[in-house]
Amino acid sequence: MTHSAPSSTPISRTTPSPRLLRAGLASSFLLMLIALGVFALSLQAVQPPRAEGFIVNVTAGGCQPEQLEVPAGQRTFTIVNRSDRAIEWEIIDGVMVLAERENIAPGLRQPLTASLTPGDYIMTCGLLSNPRGTLHVAPNGDTSQPKALVARDFIGPLAEYRVYTLLQLRQLTSQVRALHDAIYADDLHTARAAYLEARRIDQRLATPIGLFSDLDQRMNAHADYFAQRESDPDFGGFPRVALSLFERGTTTDLKPTIDRLVEDVETLKTRLEDAAIPPAQLANGSARVLQAWHDRQVSQATLSPRDLFDLAGLTEGAGKIVSLLAPLLERQAPGTLPPLNDDLATLQQDLANANADNTSGSDDSRGNDASGGPLARVESDDGIDAKRLLQDSEALAKSLSAINRALALSG
Amino acid sequence: MKPHQHLIAAATLGLLPLAAQAAVSPDALVGPIAEYKLYVLDNLEQFVDHTEKFTAAVEAGDLHNAQALYAPTRVYYERIEPIAELFADLDASIDAREDDYEQGVKDPDFTGFHRIEYGLFHEHSTEDLNAYAERLMSDVNELDHRVQDLTFPPETVVGGAAALMEEVAATKVSGEEDRYSRTDLWDFQANIDGAREIFTLFKPLAAQEDADFVKRVDDNFDDVETTLATYRVDADDPDAGFESYDEVNKNDRRALAGPVTVLAEDLSTLRGLLGLN
Repeated sequence: MTHSAPSSTPISRTTPSPRLLRAGLASSFLLMLIALGVFALSLQAVQPPRAEGFIVNVTAGGCQPEQLEVPAGQRTFTIVNRSDRAIEWEIIDGVMVLAERENIAPGLRQPLTASLTPGDYIMTCGLLSNPRGTLHVAPNGDTSQPKALVARDFIGPLAEYRVYTLLQLRQLTSQVRALHDAIYADDLHTARAAYLEARRIDQRLATPIGLFSDLDQRMNAHADYFAQRESDPDFGGFPRVALSLFERGTTTDLKPTIDRLVEDVETLKTRLEDAAIPPAQLANGSARVLQAWHDRQVSQATLSPRDLFDLAGLTEGAGKIVSLLAPLLERQAPGTLPPLNDDLATLQQDLANANADNTSGSDDSRGNDASGGPLARVESDDGIDAKRLLQDSEALAKSLSAINRALALSG
Repeated sequence: MKPHQHLIAAATLGLLPLAAQAAVSPDALVGPIAEYKLYVLDNLEQFVDHTEKFTAAVEAGDLHNAQALYAPTRVYYERIEPIAELFADLDASIDAREDDYEQGVKDPDFTGFHRIEYGLFHEHSTEDLNAYAERLMSDVNELDHRVQDLTFPPETVVGGAAALMEEVAATKVSGEEDRYSRTDLWDFQANIDGAREIFTLFKPLAAQEDADFVKRVDDNFDDVETTLATYRVDADDPDAGFESYDEVNKNDRRALAGPVTVLAEDLSTLRGLLGLN
């Protein structure tokens, strides 16, 4: 944290006596109080913006004024340190520091410019034990369109998405490695558990993986997409592993497939390390993968537990993207955010319900996974009511695909 | 306006700010900012780990061990301060100094590292520190939790290099940070590590804009680190840390203050250089 300096007064021969100092301090304090009183009287509810902007005096006891109201937009504040030690002044939104000016020496004034949206904020006023001031930012009555987004607005969300992707990839690498080892050890139970862990991450990353059609096809394409279906020599990746582990109950014949998958995940890592994901792909990509899941399932009356599990991964990936774009949507098209959040919450809730139903009905078929974990659910054969989840996934896909229009993004 | 005119107007407005920016493309900043978050997450993991050991020592009443772990635990916080101090509540409860409170050491709200430092190095006792140790641990866990979900503001990341050096220049050279433990040089080095990490991540982009600037900053970092290195307890073992700040003579304090101040000034131009003002 940035601290105020201790109030050590430099001692020199010209220092006045303590009594004189006290008297001087008292009288200057009195004068300051009078000045502040006059100043406070001169304040209107909303100060008119001036070249130096809004003046905030920080005294030994807090901010003057304690309450400030400014119109939304780019605003300049001039902080005047009227205390006897270095201070910092901050604008706080909830618990987050929105803007700050540090190390303002006693007697000095420093400007601070911040871009403010309507709402209530807190001002810190010198000592942490001082009362905090409030800053009310009023809508400025400007009804024109919000400023169009520029590439710079996406730096933060894209960087955060890259971090998410890289961290998920680390996990994917180790889970696929575990799957590889279990297959080589001919350990069906461990292989099934590792498959589910790896597949969940693969589905979370469906959007970035979808940027590379060759890898996506090798890792994720269903048998239906191949001329000879299950027996096609090119059929591989997760669907091929699942076929053996879950339909045929065996790990045999999977060695070439898992070797290839390990290699493909390595390639994916290399490519994603320097891939620039276009901003429009965030919403579009996650809409597309959800829609694809929906379209594949729509012909079936019930979902298999593994389909449900895939949807859970896709939903987690979409949830991350929604959280990244939400602040931008709030700025550009606030009306679009609540329905999007609702669609996401509904899908998450129905998924949780489906999982619970599925687990409670699967007592006989849990096998060794007595904890009722994901493996127990997936090994059960109970059908799940598909209708709600189909509706939910399509609704979220639709809201996601409307985001780019709301953000005025194309591509 | 007809719809297509709206479109043209919108497109022109959208392009103008781009044209006005520096030559560095905003897209080019995505990678370094992501890298920086990974750096912060790595340090946070270590911070949680070290805080567990430090607070356990305090709670076990092991004065000697607690004193030894104080400085090596703090360094992880000091490195990532530009991000950590975004959370005003936690920054106050983890790292505030007694000067930030009206009643100083006696203030009931004064908690965190420096409150524990006062007990360990001024009172020479672990007595009555349990509550502070528990609070510190839960605050550090909460910080870790919040940072995981945080989208790093690009301006804060790039501006963080200067912020760290300003902090050193304004309030650390004076030796007021760790006034009881005198372990200021650990913090000093950690702030420089954190600033240099940011600078290094953006260096290739900055070099495209101003190669002299990059050279000057690197030289000043080297100067500060060279002076600091003379105070290392063991030149071959960075973990051994530094001598007491009391041992740093006036000349060396000046030798540190000079390049630190220049670094703070130089690094404050980094945001503008990268088109983030």
